Amino acid sequence: MSHAEGGNSESHADLPVAARVRRLEERVVAAGLTTDADLDAYLTKFLERASPMNGARLVARAWTDPAFRERMLADGNSAAAELGVGSADPARQGFQLRVVENTATVHNVVVCTLCSCYPLALLGPSPSWYKSHAYRARVVREPRVVLAEFGLELPEELEIAVWDSNSEARYMVLPRRPDGTADLDDEALTRLVTREGLIGTALV
Amino acid sequence: MPDPRAALPQAQDQPSSAAFTLGDRVRVRAVDPEHHTRVPRYVRGQLGEIVHSHGAAPLPDDRARGIEPPRVETVHVVRFAARDLWGVGDHTVAVDLWESYLEPC
Amino acid sequence: MGGQLGFGPVPVVVGGEPAFHAAWEARVFALSSVLLRAGAYNVDEFRDAIERIPPETYLRTSYYERWLMAIEDLLEAKGLA
Repeated sequence: MSHAEGGNSESHADLPVAARVRRLEERVVAAGLTTDADLDAYLTKFLERASPMNGARLVARAWTDPAFRERMLADGNSAAAELGVGSADPARQGFQLRVVENTATVHNVVVCTLCSCYPLALLGPSPSWYKSHAYRARVVREPRVVLAEFGLELPEELEIAVWDSNSEARYMVLPRRPDGTADLDDEALTRLVTREGLIGTALV
Repeated sequence: MPDPRAALPQAQDQPSSAAFTLGDRVRVRAVDPEHHTRVPRYVRGQLGEIVHSHGAAPLPDDRARGIEPPRVETVHVVRFAARDLWGVGDHTVAVDLWESYLEPC
Repeated sequence: MGGQLGFGPVPVVVGGEPAFHAAWEARVFALSSVLLRAGAYNVDEFRDAIERIPPETYLRTSYYERWLMAIEDLLEAKGLA
């Protein structure tokens, strides 16, 4: 368990990375741990299903249905299951979903400083900025400066709450419903919500 | 991080009864173990307040070392004031912490 | 690395970013997920393997390169492949 570079012919550390991955895949398949078909199927399913549209649908419903909003804030997994975008059982879902709500006085933003934990099923593949050293290191220390780098300048009086997601719970932000959207239905509201809004680096 | 579905706490996992409740002030143990742990360095030794509890989960320190069965503990969400962590700042930072990472204060 | 300064601005890309930046990244992602589900290792062992990468290597490698190193390391340590 050394991550030795050189001196270990099995690590193939000198090969170009794509070749190293192919070599690893061949070894894993040869050992009977998985098959190429399993890997292909897993990726296809992931890319089909994991999307920020799932999180956006939860948000739109919460904006239009106060009772749903209450249920979602109390138990995110059950709310996701109601809309068919997850399992009510955290063990089946893969995480316990915790939704944190933006208000007139508090703006929430999510990070995982230790790795890059993220609710993939609800937000889709994670953006590279979320996995960057700069975001992981700095948002817990100077969130106003970091949010400004996203073009989000928050008023001084708005409190910022940062959530460092380092257990098997996953956080999603419930943004505030924008003004002037009273006549939009759930589908139109869903289209307003961005992945960045669900992480907290955008207002919506 | 990857989808940890295969390695999740199961429904039958029960914590020993939680020692802390909502609103409690706690201190993060000032530890620096040689093995894997999920206590970010920037909160070690710091004072915070429990604002939520997620329920029980196996302790990563045990699972990373292959200790069977791993301890199962309540995971608390502890909120810290930026000023306490960094000396400056008006925001808060909340961190998920397994119960044995915490001590009363 | 929470709180560490000196990394510069966040590399913000909003919209239009592919899920993976190279085909091999997708394969590493799939390998790790499938191996986790197969019980080859658990998520805490995986995170531990990433964190044991020496800091200078950790900082100069990409996210999925670190995953690759962790998988190689775990499979070898466990004698699985």
